[in-house]
Amino acid sequence: MENLLKSTSLIQRAYWLVRLRWVAIVMLGAATFVAGRFLHITLAAGALYTITGVLLVYNFVLYDLLRYWTWGQKAPSPGRIGRMLTFQIAADLVILTTILHFAGGIENPFSFFFVFHMILASILRSKWESYVHASSAVLLFGGLVVLEGLGVLPHYDLVGFADHGLYDKPIFVFGFLFVFVVTLYLVVYMTSSISEQLRIQQESYERANKLLEEKDQLKNQYVLRLTHDIKGHLAAIQSCLEIVIAGTVGALNDKQTDLIDRAHRRTVKCMAFITALLKLTRMKLTGELEVERFSLKNCLFNALAAVQNKARAKAIAVSHTITTSTDELPGEAVLIEETVTNLLFNAVRYTPEGGAVELEVRDDGPFVRVTVSDTGIGIPDEAMDHIFEEFYRAPNARAVERDGTGLGLAFAKEVVERHGGTIEATRNPTAGTTFTFTLPQRLTPETD
Amino acid sequence: MGQGRILIIDDDPDITEAMSVVLENKGYTVASAADGSAGLEQVAAERPDLIILDVMMRTSQEGFELSRQLKGSAEYKDIPILMLTAVKDKTGLDFKSTAGDESWLPVEEFLDKPVKPDVLLEKVASLLSKS
Repeated sequence: MENLLKSTSLIQRAYWLVRLRWVAIVMLGAATFVAGRFLHITLAAGALYTITGVLLVYNFVLYDLLRYWTWGQKAPSPGRIGRMLTFQIAADLVILTTILHFAGGIENPFSFFFVFHMILASILRSKWESYVHASSAVLLFGGLVVLEGLGVLPHYDLVGFADHGLYDKPIFVFGFLFVFVVTLYLVVYMTSSISEQLRIQQESYERANKLLEEKDQLKNQYVLRLTHDIKGHLAAIQSCLEIVIAGTVGALNDKQTDLIDRAHRRTVKCMAFITALLKLTRMKLTGELEVERFSLKNCLFNALAAVQNKARAKAIAVSHTITTSTDELPGEAVLIEETVTNLLFNAVRYTPEGGAVELEVRDDGPFVRVTVSDTGIGIPDEAMDHIFEEFYRAPNARAVERDGTGLGLAFAKEVVERHGGTIEATRNPTAGTTFTFTLPQRLTPETD
Repeated sequence: MGQGRILIIDDDPDITEAMSVVLENKGYTVASAADGSAGLEQVAAERPDLIILDVMMRTSQEGFELSRQLKGSAEYKDIPILMLTAVKDKTGLDFKSTAGDESWLPVEEFLDKPVKPDVLLEKVASLLSKS
């Protein structure tokens, strides 16, 4: 997995180089054209256009290779992509040197562009490899200007730009090269130090993150164990109480009935809490979905039916608009139904009498979008960021209803995200809250 | 009034007692066992008309194994089993009630704990009338 991630991010970097090269190709062609046509600078246009063409073909080949690597059956090893990056950087140094040779050598200010290659190398490759690239740039460009100065290689004058050539003045050549060498090595030193530090930092973040995940799993196992045991005891208490309440073992007096009823009510509430916690924890631990094609419409109608009585008792109008054929969604029906039921129950619970709750479902590109909006008490600003956290309950929700697990929305978030969707809450302009969640219409690798 | 012999196999004595009270009150004869092997002995000795089986006993597999064992034997396969588990809540244990699947659980009916007295009586009556 780590290998794969590394490969993917390396391929992204390789794409980056290819994209930058498209820009360079356009610039080279345009610069040659503008310099000759408008600035009346004489240069070896034929050679430069030829290089532009060669670069174009070269970049297309690289682009194709990357596409093949991205979409092909087998991802290449990180080492292989790394070698490709090294090759690209080295080849680019040769190409830039060649371009400079045909366009005035030392007199061409584009020699500054070697700095870009040093920065790229320092970001993409290791520190020592970047120094190797700096050294080859020095050897290539230094060799070029020295050989041109000595007359071993022909010098192409930039007539109209640097008329009184400097390429054969030793003091200028050496002065220029001195600054050139210092600049390149300093750029590599600074950039690779920074990027190495970032790399180390990122690695330590990743390690810390992994550790946290492991701790979280441990916590979940602990909670699972605990809730499971408590549930067993609660079930026994509730069973015994219910037999007494049913009158199976004889009648009670009024006071006894009242007290047993109280005990029973509290047991039921505790049971609801423990069951919700157990469900959430189990899902977090196993992390697997039983993906089947299911009818979202059925889930929605079941959820609507589940809240009907409660809504009617508070004279809350529950309406629905379903404008998508939602009979074939991939996912786990029971979980989605429970999620929608949770959201609808919340909407009804936190909406004053005579209010309205609306359920809406529509297509949204590759997703189905489900919204539940109410005219209720709303979510205060300071609570907005926390409502999907386990055990969190907004202060105004607590005031309306003292008992609540604080787990319903955490569960909803877990379910939706496991399906590859997202969930969010927004404030309605007038009053109340809208919860929106999405579900992918097709399987993605995450839900497969 | 109900008639029939019912065997409860559950390691929780309080749940067992509570269910026994409800069932005996309706006229059923109730026996109980606290684990799988005792359960199997009781099945042989008592020849119950119905078995109420807890899915999670000492090991989480004990209930499963016992139900497969019973349904696999020619002698006992016709005794209906009511299993106590949260099967309807699919976030819990994963198994299917269709044969052929590795997680196949060969029982006639599932009920989540705690079982409401009236629901228990209703399920028991309907299972006994079928067999």
